[in-house]
Amino acid sequence: MKNQILAIIKKDIRSITSNHRMFVTLLIVPIVLTVLVPTMFILIMRFSPTESADFQKLLALLPSAEQNENTFKNMLRLVLNYMLPAFFMLIPIMAASVMAACSFVGEKEKRTLETLLYSPLSLKQIFRAKVLAAFLLSMLVSAISFIVMLLVLETETWLFAGFFLLPDIKWLLVLLLVSPAVSLIAITLIVKASAKAQSVEDAQQGAVFLILPIIMLLAGQFSGVLLINAWVLLALGIVCALLAVLLLKQSMSNFKYETLLK
Amino acid sequence: MNAVTMNSLSKIYDGGKKAVDSVSLSLSQGEVFGFLGPNGAGKTTTVKLLIGMLSPTEGNAGVFGIEPSKNPEKVHALSGVVTEHAQMYDNLTGLQNLIFYGSVFGLGEAESKRRGMELLRQLELSDAADTKLAAYSTGMRQRLSLARALIHQPQVLFLDEPTSGLDPESAQNVHSMIRRLAAEKGITVFLCTHQLRYAQEICTRYGLMAEGRLLAEGTLDALRSRICSDIKVKLQVRNMPADLTCCRIGDMTYELPIKSEEEIPQLVNRIAGAGGQIYHISSELPSLEDIYFTLTEKKE
Repeated sequence: MKNQILAIIKKDIRSITSNHRMFVTLLIVPIVLTVLVPTMFILIMRFSPTESADFQKLLALLPSAEQNENTFKNMLRLVLNYMLPAFFMLIPIMAASVMAACSFVGEKEKRTLETLLYSPLSLKQIFRAKVLAAFLLSMLVSAISFIVMLLVLETETWLFAGFFLLPDIKWLLVLLLVSPAVSLIAITLIVKASAKAQSVEDAQQGAVFLILPIIMLLAGQFSGVLLINAWVLLALGIVCALLAVLLLKQSMSNFKYETLLK
Repeated sequence: MNAVTMNSLSKIYDGGKKAVDSVSLSLSQGEVFGFLGPNGAGKTTTVKLLIGMLSPTEGNAGVFGIEPSKNPEKVHALSGVVTEHAQMYDNLTGLQNLIFYGSVFGLGEAESKRRGMELLRQLELSDAADTKLAAYSTGMRQRLSLARALIHQPQVLFLDEPTSGLDPESAQNVHSMIRRLAAEKGITVFLCTHQLRYAQEICTRYGLMAEGRLLAEGTLDALRSRICSDIKVKLQVRNMPADLTCCRIGDMTYELPIKSEEEIPQLVNRIAGAGGQIYHISSELPSLEDIYFTLTEKKE
């Protein structure tokens, strides 16, 4: 049974990587968010006067323990530990949505789902394999994005300021709890939509609503209204994880051959 | 044990359309059963009921004793299914597709590959084994679907219009393969088609459907004796006697029905005696098409 499910996971991931349009969509957002945006921040901070009132106001929001005399370093810390983590909620949502839409509705659209349903696997097993494939891919994209971001950021700070920055505990929470949880929520929304949706675009609309609160969170971080600390993040992660499990259970129980093949 | 059974099987869709109306049938192992009828007769719905993709509104079905609506995955493990709508992956090659479906049916990669290559050879697709499916023609796809349905060596094959889109030569090839599978490996075949002429070549028993109802079932001989036993005699005659009741179908060509071949010598004597000159005479037993049309006319 394990090998049969593994075969579906492998096939699903391969169908994304061999589809150039999908693969580019999958890469572009992480590259913009983890390479271009941080580089832009560093360049702005390096070459614009950091003594301006706006910058100082933002810095004043940092917990006093994290402040030191070097304004450039303080700014970088703000970017790395408060702003960039929010991107790691967007990246898995985007990756999971592309993958889930392709593997659920895409298969329905191309009439390959019907053939898969003739297999000796139950509907639940097929869907579990597909959810797992989307989840694994989104986690892989997040992990690679994190490594690339860290490499770019550290190289640039070292070049411009001669020091390295350490990511704080919040990153651990984001990568191991919040990211996986929101990715699962995105997948379940797509899976739920896929039973009725007739096209990939239809199904992706559901996940767009998920991006809104994150954009708001991001805006909050940038404007300095809301700087989330590790405890709030932990609570947020736990709530998201519970929600994901609940949604997943509920969405799978609704599936029947008849509704899927309409 | 019967390979396939249906007891008063009915399906009414949500819109109220009765697609299958109280069909009862049973197929023994190794039979090639032709489930025949025009488009919209309820053939595809019956197949979907038999493989558990639809739940019956009334009655029940069984595949080797397993009820498809309750244990669809167990039925799938025993069956190979080819339908017009079930497609495979365009981004994979023919062989990769077969290996994937082999693994989904629990075969190891090496075994899937071995069986896949063998099936591709039998279906004359060896040259296209490493070509992506996107470049396959309709006929090639159809043959690959048959290979896919056979990869796990099923005990029963459900084929819904397996030769639609195939050129006559490929269709012939597929037919002889189906016949061989039934004869040599004892696979039961449930073949849905509207091409009655093709069905007559390969099936051992038939079920004739119209508007969701099973009009008749049995072997060709049984159907002939029950529904339409008239033998058609075709004659080419100069100076046909005027008192002979027959149908003129062309210049000097006539057709008339008789009840048994014993009547032929009398017929020849009668025409010759009245001064008719016979150039050609042939008799033809009623075909499936004749039987089907007789049945639907009777119904109307």
